Amino acid sequence: MTEFRNCFLVLILSAGIGTGCYHLKPSSGAGQTKFSPPREINPEDVAVPSGYRVEVVAQNLTFPTGITFDDEGRIYVVESGYSYGEMWTTPRLLRIGNNGKTETIASGGKNGPWNGVTFSKGAFFVAEGGVLEGGKILRITPDGKTTALISNLPSFGDHHTDGPVAGPDGKIYFGQGTASNSGVVGEDNAKFGWLKRRPQFHDIPGQDITLTGQNFETENVLTGKGRVMTGAFLPFGTPSHPGQIIKGQVPCSGGVMRISPNGGKPELVAWGFRNPYGLTFSPDGKLFVSDNSYDDRGSRPVWGTSDLLWQVKQGTWHGWPDFTGDDPLTEKDYQPPGKPALKFLIANHPNRPPKPTAYLGAHAAAGGLDFSRSAKFGHRGDVFIALFGDQAPTVGKVMHPVGVRVVRVNVATGVIDNFAVNKGKENGPASKIGGGGLERPLAVRFSPDGTSLYIVDFGVLNEDKKGAKPHPRTGAIWRVTREGGAK
Amino acid sequence: MKIRLVAALTKAWRVPFRRHALVSAATLVLLACGCHSARRGEPIQGAMKISDANVARGQKVYMEHCYQCHPNGEGGLGPALNNKPLPRFMVKMQTRKGLGTMPSFTDGEISAEELEDLTDYVIALRRHDLRSAQR
Repeated sequence: MTEFRNCFLVLILSAGIGTGCYHLKPSSGAGQTKFSPPREINPEDVAVPSGYRVEVVAQNLTFPTGITFDDEGRIYVVESGYSYGEMWTTPRLLRIGNNGKTETIASGGKNGPWNGVTFSKGAFFVAEGGVLEGGKILRITPDGKTTALISNLPSFGDHHTDGPVAGPDGKIYFGQGTASNSGVVGEDNAKFGWLKRRPQFHDIPGQDITLTGQNFETENVLTGKGRVMTGAFLPFGTPSHPGQIIKGQVPCSGGVMRISPNGGKPELVAWGFRNPYGLTFSPDGKLFVSDNSYDDRGSRPVWGTSDLLWQVKQGTWHGWPDFTGDDPLTEKDYQPPGKPALKFLIANHPNRPPKPTAYLGAHAAAGGLDFSRSAKFGHRGDVFIALFGDQAPTVGKVMHPVGVRVVRVNVATGVIDNFAVNKGKENGPASKIGGGGLERPLAVRFSPDGTSLYIVDFGVLNEDKKGAKPHPRTGAIWRVTREGGAK
Repeated sequence: MKIRLVAALTKAWRVPFRRHALVSAATLVLLACGCHSARRGEPIQGAMKISDANVARGQKVYMEHCYQCHPNGEGGLGPALNNKPLPRFMVKMQTRKGLGTMPSFTDGEISAEELEDLTDYVIALRRHDLRSAQR
């Protein structure tokens, strides 16, 4: 009996050491490492399922975010022109030749990030993130002529205008991220860099809401003197009161919207997302969105929420800033260790949020996504999603790198499996674990014939307590093909 | 009298020795198991073919409640699970009670039947390796 008791204690101790030491171990995020260029690239260091082959299509790109193909199947890539860490370069639309050489089709000004590109009916459509001038959807003809279909999208904050895709109705669908982490502008937004540029900027709901009157006290980072109270959906330093009504607007924060390819007013498809970064349509015409979930930062930190894959429900609020999926944030599971429990910000939730299609890793930073349509490639009907990887410690602490891979999801069951990961004993970007594998997969897209999967790799992005440290000319495009017959 | 004392001392030494030997052996086994890689997923370990209905149901429960912190049983926001050789009852106990920052899951969140299925899946995932994938 004594031996049994001791063995039991050892087992308990082992379990405790293994699973309960979150507080004891330092964060070990994907970007928490040192990097000195040049980046090493080696397809042999990327693991894919048996029968598939990885190759490099282009490298030395600066912050690539999206890929598309014209009617002749030629490859085009957008470089962002901006990265977290407040680094501006020139946003560009590039054509990638067979030898990996690039040709510039169009360039933008200092208003990145260009987040994603799609080709439809003879023109490119680019989401211009709009950190300085506001978000735009750009139409670019093959000769480089650029016009804005819409401007002044609410993109001055943490998250930007994202992922255009052409819908079955011929309209251009795009995502608009939120200004803040969870509805309240705070000191973390000053750290991101935008609050001092745009001190009046805040989140905008997609329909009228009534506030509960929750306020959050912080230092006044705008003046450096005293303390201020800030309410939800209001500028920094502006408190709210119970029953206060915030008028809804379109365009809104955290929304998926659509616009005619000829321009005009945007229509709201759905809202209540946090950062609907990747958009795609399933083979049967349903809209799916990847959504980057809450961080453990700022005035209203949230802990342990999944990045989400949504099948978008038209006209529906999807839960931000009071739910994650269909779970209320008031559940104790989402209270960060050592920080206050969460309370609702909205008194009259428009609806109970729908259930997500799949729950991805917390802080995985789910990016661009696309459905396999080819029996030759395999996994037809599964959606493939690029997971950029965590930005710990900025987003909160993680025990191991999260994301940094391409996954595939069975949208009928929500079951997720890895598709492309780095080889090695541990997961992580090549700059952290060694070798020449993936760094920051940000988008995926199948070739028009469906037989090749292209992975857009943003390049090296380090993180420390001061924020992001991006490294230009470390981006790459990978291609995965399958040899053999149908699976 | 002297012989009785020696015998008593010997017995007293032997019982703790047996006890400590068992504990040490268990610790070594746990450490040895803990040294195994936690990595899973088709690219690294080959496809995990699930034929058991309980395991398949458990996989769905895992995807909704566990994957977010332990993707594929690997580390992430939380620690890796695949390299922790917890016995069945401890997997269930930890799910119900939580530990440290890990939340607990009530009957309303994960039913008793789902917990059994979930445990089946966690153990199957832990045992999945390249050799089992090739069989």
